[in-house]
Amino acid sequence: MSQVHSNLHRSPLADWWEGTRRTDIWWTLAWFDIVLRYRRSMLGPLWLTLSMGVMIGGMGPLYASLFGTHLDKFFPHLALGVIFWGTFSAVVTDACNAFVGSSNYLKQGYFPISLFVWRGLARNLIQFLHQIVLYIPVAIWAGVTLSWSVLLIIPAFAILIINAHALGLLLGLICTRYRDVTQIITSLMQMLMFLTPVFWLPENLPSRAKYVLWNPFAQMLDLLRTPLMGGVAHLHSWIGIAVWTVLCVSIASVLFVKYRRRVVYWL
Amino acid sequence: MASISLKNVSVSFPIYGAGSASLKKTLAASVTGGRFGKETGVTVVQALSGLNLELKSGDRLGLVGHNGAGKSTLLRTLAGVYEPSAGEFTRQGSVASLIDPALGIEMDATGIENIMLRGLVMGMSMKEIERLTPEICEFSGLGEYVNMPVRTYSTGMMMRLAFSISTSVEADILLMDEWLSVGDAAFTEKAEKRMRDVVSKSGILVLASHSPELIAKECNRVIHMEHGRIVES
Repeated sequence: MSQVHSNLHRSPLADWWEGTRRTDIWWTLAWFDIVLRYRRSMLGPLWLTLSMGVMIGGMGPLYASLFGTHLDKFFPHLALGVIFWGTFSAVVTDACNAFVGSSNYLKQGYFPISLFVWRGLARNLIQFLHQIVLYIPVAIWAGVTLSWSVLLIIPAFAILIINAHALGLLLGLICTRYRDVTQIITSLMQMLMFLTPVFWLPENLPSRAKYVLWNPFAQMLDLLRTPLMGGVAHLHSWIGIAVWTVLCVSIASVLFVKYRRRVVYWL
Repeated sequence: MASISLKNVSVSFPIYGAGSASLKKTLAASVTGGRFGKETGVTVVQALSGLNLELKSGDRLGLVGHNGAGKSTLLRTLAGVYEPSAGEFTRQGSVASLIDPALGIEMDATGIENIMLRGLVMGMSMKEIERLTPEICEFSGLGEYVNMPVRTYSTGMMMRLAFSISTSVEADILLMDEWLSVGDAAFTEKAEKRMRDVVSKSGILVLASHSPELIAKECNRVIHMEHGRIVES
C-alpha cells in the first residue's frame, strides 16, 4: 500500500506511462465530458452530427456544380472531408486547452499530465464515432466500392492517434505558458481549412499550386479519406506524414521531459 | 510506514500576466527598440524558501501563519502538485488531500457520479468505488440528494460530499486546509471523529488553520510560518 513519491525518482517515460496506463480514468472523464455537456439536450452529441449532415447535404449539390464534377464522385469526398476536418480541428483546439481545462484536477494533487491529453483525445474520438455514421448513407447512395486497400485505414488511424497525442502534449504545454497561442492556433486552423482539400478536389489544383498538398493536414486527410473511397493514398502523403510524425513526437518529447512538472505553475 | 521529508525546499511562482508577459508586449518591446526581454522580466513570488521538515508516522502537524504565509503552498507541495523549484522532497505513503474540497467537483454531475469520478481520480478501481459508494452516501448524510446534480447543493452539502469521498479510502497522509468549515455541528463532530480514526492508524496529519484552539486540540507539533519560512516550530 505504501508508495514512494519523490520529485527525483520518476523518469519522464514512467510519468508518461503512468498517465497512459489508467485508461479507466481518462476514458471515464472523457465520457463524462460528453454526457455532462449534453445532459439537458435530447439529441445529445447527435446534434453535431445533425448540423454536419445539414451542411454536407446543402453544400454537396452546390459545390459539385461549381466545380463541374459529378455529385456521386463529389459527395463522398465532401462528406469525409468535413467529418475528418471537424475531428482534426477539434483535436487541435482541445489540445490547446488540455491542461488549462483540467486545472481543477492538476491543482488538487499529483497527476501525470499525459492523462489529460488522452482525455481530450478520447472525447474527440467519441464525437468522431457519432459523426462518421453520416458517411454510411452517402457511400451507399454514391455507390462507393471498397477494395482491400480499405485496410490501410488502420495504420492511418494509428498515425492520427500518435500525432494527436504528441500535438496535445506540445500545444497543451505551449498554450498553458503563452495564452495568446491558443488564439493564434484557432485562426490558423481556420485558414488551413481552406488550404486543405476539405471541400475542393486536389485534381482541380493547377500544378504550380500542388505544394499546398504538402501541408500535414492535407496528407493526413488523404491517408484517411482515400481508402474509405475505394482508392489508395499517395505515397508522398505517407512520406510526408512520417516525417511530420517524427518531428512532432520529438518536439513533444523534449517539451514533456523539460516542462511536465512545471506546467502546474503556469495554470 | 508513512514519512515526509523536505530538505531545503523552495517554491517560487513566476507570475505571468502581471503586466509584463503577453506576447504583444514582448513583440512591441522588440520593434520599438526596447531591448528584447528587458521589459518582460517576470515577477517571481517566492512562496516557500528553504524549508526543512521531517515528519513520521503519528505526527500531527499544525500550520499557522497569516494569510499568504505559504501554508497552502506547503500543503500543495506535500500533495505533489508543485514540484519544488529547489531542494529535495521525498514522501512515502498514500495521500488524501482536502486542500480545497470543492476542486474537482463536477457541478452538473450527480452526487453518485461525482463519487465515481473523484474515486477514479484518486486512484481507486471501479470495483472499489462500487463497494465504497453506499458507505460514502451514508456518511455524507445527503440522503436522496445524492441522485441530484451537485449544482443544486448548498456549499455545506458540497463540502460534505467532498469530505466523505476524500476520506473514504485509507490514506497514510492527510492534508487539510481549514477543515472545520465542513458543515453543521453534527457533521463537524462526525468529521472530527473520522479524522482521528485516520490519523490514529499510524498516519500523518498536516493541518493548516487560523484557529489556535483547533490546532491545540488536534496537533502535537506546530510550525509557524511567515513569508514562506518556518519562523518557529
